[in-house]
Amino acid sequence: MSEVWITGIGLVTALGPDRETTWRRLVAGESGIGTVTLFDTAGFRTSIAAEVDAAGLALPVLDRTVLGHASRASRFALAAAAEAVADAGLASGRLDPHPWALVLGGGTAGLFEAEAFVARRLRGGARVRGLGELVDVPQDAPSDRLGLAFGLTGPRITVTTACSSSTIAVGLAAEMIRGGEATVALAGGADALCRLTYAGFNSLHAVDAEPAKPYDRRRHGLSLGEGAAVLVVEDAGHARGRGARPYARVLGYGATNDAFHMTQPEPSGAAWERTLRAALADAGVGADTVDYVNGHGTATEQNDPAECAAYGRVFAGRLADVPVSSVKGALGHCLCAAGGIEAAITALAIARATLPPTVGFAAADPACPVDPVAGTGRRGSVDVAVSASFAFGGNSAALVLGGAA
Amino acid sequence: MSAARVYVRAAGAVTPAGTGVAALRRAAADPGWHPALGLPRPDAEPLPVAVCREFTTKDIVPPLLARRLDRPSRLLAVAAREALRAAGEPLPWAPERVGVTAGTWNSGTSALVEVLRAVFLTSPDEAPPAQFPSTVANAPASQLGILDKLGGPNITFAEKQVGGLRAIVEAARLLLARRADAVVACGVDEGDWLNAEGYARLRALAAPGRAGMVLGEGAGVLVLAGDPGPAPIAAVAGWGSASAPAPPHRYPADAAALAAACVQALARAGITASEVDLVVSAANGIPALAALELAAMDAVFAGHRPAALGVAERLGEGAAGGALRAVVAAMTVAGAVLPVWGCPAHLAAAGYPALLGPARVALVAGQAGGGSAVALVLTAV
Repeated sequence: MSEVWITGIGLVTALGPDRETTWRRLVAGESGIGTVTLFDTAGFRTSIAAEVDAAGLALPVLDRTVLGHASRASRFALAAAAEAVADAGLASGRLDPHPWALVLGGGTAGLFEAEAFVARRLRGGARVRGLGELVDVPQDAPSDRLGLAFGLTGPRITVTTACSSSTIAVGLAAEMIRGGEATVALAGGADALCRLTYAGFNSLHAVDAEPAKPYDRRRHGLSLGEGAAVLVVEDAGHARGRGARPYARVLGYGATNDAFHMTQPEPSGAAWERTLRAALADAGVGADTVDYVNGHGTATEQNDPAECAAYGRVFAGRLADVPVSSVKGALGHCLCAAGGIEAAITALAIARATLPPTVGFAAADPACPVDPVAGTGRRGSVDVAVSASFAFGGNSAALVLGGAA
Repeated sequence: MSAARVYVRAAGAVTPAGTGVAALRRAAADPGWHPALGLPRPDAEPLPVAVCREFTTKDIVPPLLARRLDRPSRLLAVAAREALRAAGEPLPWAPERVGVTAGTWNSGTSALVEVLRAVFLTSPDEAPPAQFPSTVANAPASQLGILDKLGGPNITFAEKQVGGLRAIVEAARLLLARRADAVVACGVDEGDWLNAEGYARLRALAAPGRAGMVLGEGAGVLVLAGDPGPAPIAAVAGWGSASAPAPPHRYPADAAALAAACVQALARAGITASEVDLVVSAANGIPALAALELAAMDAVFAGHRPAALGVAERLGEGAAGGALRAVVAAMTVAGAVLPVWGCPAHLAAAGYPALLGPARVALVAGQAGGGSAVALVLTAV
């Protein structure tokens, strides 16, 4: 079976329109959470989110066929993919003899744009005008835009399992490489803020009026975010052959369902323990080898203790020695893009021997007895890391990444 | 485990023909059967969607539970319970080793409209919390997991028309990787006016004097498993997928992706094109897709002319429609039905005959708007 490398990373987040800006500001302990400008937040419990400055995106030069009616989510995906492909030193999918696979986590896609149509339609009836705002509504629209932009002809898969979507996407891409179905895959996800998710999490009382504080005893909920991550996932032999170097290796992934509740996690952590153990088994490594966990850490009342309980079950007496940090206090909860962004951050942590901090954390919670890497980034060698995601509907997934051998 | 050792162990269906595989089988054996069309929408005439008018959860999902489920979750729960019961009671696999893969085109849209209705017409703070979890496309698969305590991987795919076929392919992948012992592979769509109206505005739906799609509502389920398991209906012998660049709302300019997916599927199955007895056509009424399919079939089959069967114009187009085409194919190679819905006109004109007798090897392929193509080969066992 082939070894799988991550050879390119592209990021679009509230901290910056690219990988390096995001990483530098994250490690410095900065937060991208601020006042929402995309829509009116009057009537909601909060007025903040981690919003991307779309004006700063470095979009590749593309014709109108690719960009016509492209949503924010599609533009995030295009910018992240262009950065990832360039970072990997790959010119274009057209130049490779093997078709590239594309596996993305898809979320709200063009819903932010379509909401304007829905508002007019609900108020004005069927005679209201509107078509272009609907083009990017399908959740695989960002995938289609990438296929069009890069001339991709390989398998194209869009995973939509809410907050674990792009974690599974990266795992699936790695599995396709391992199985010889592709030599190069673009994997990750994109998601954009919209009124639906803002109103929905508001209605569930799951949002904090202040920026999210993962694993902190003062936490009162999540902060929504948006962005994209695209990772170039590549067969190691193919990458070596062209002189590429890896950020990290994808050792394995696991996915399970807790079969418990649509929005509440199974509180004992037993279900998420199964996910973590499945990922470790797939990777062929023991829990005792894990140096770092990039956690889900949403900062909701229910998630963080259940998540930490799962880590306690897996790491047992080592729990205090395995740093667990969440980027959601800095980048917000980017929903279907979250897992891809966190996988990218985890790969950077491995490559740069620096653990990203849990921005927003200040006060320890006995229910979350982990080392959350408070403050700013911390130097630390990482050979094996886990990136974990837990989602609506109990669909959880974890990736195991390793340092370059 | 080789690809040939992934089997269809059971099937379930909710279609415009009724609830259950038996209702689908009766409709497939009736050349005169056509679905009831007509999806109501606010302030305008109904849209051409093949709806499940008689659908009920009665005697299948307890009323208190059913009330908590959105319509796509109810459709899937009923179809999946039929398939799981057929697989055995109790299930022959540990529930935590049973996964779910679902393809959907529009699950969550009705709930989404209700949340946005509150936001735009009442107050953002009036958004109904009970509706929000149903706005995620993975709600039907997740609710099925919760309902039947299925703890394996639970993954939903969005790939427009080919989502249901994708779910079957990815179920096979999960089995081959031993991530699950059995997988409920399915497609599910609801009759939803917002999605349908979008395609009507694109002039992609059938209308008087204009060829176009009839969208579908329903759920198609195949329970896939390797060995051991209950007696198989069919084997998932091969699959393939490819894509071609196209905007999200358009079909690609050529048939390369669809042909490549079919060629991969046959190669993985170790079957030559001349051994295929039946093509379950992707034709959905849109002339551009018919042209793509004809070009792809000619590229794959050269001079061979397997029988071809039109399904989408009866059961409706969608991710559910794709899964239901696979259900029809599985039943056909199993000898459980001889569908008499005829060969689509574009293939008939090119010399592809209608199905007149048993088939042992079926090719089910689909092409989505935006460019993704998926193909499956199902064989008799």
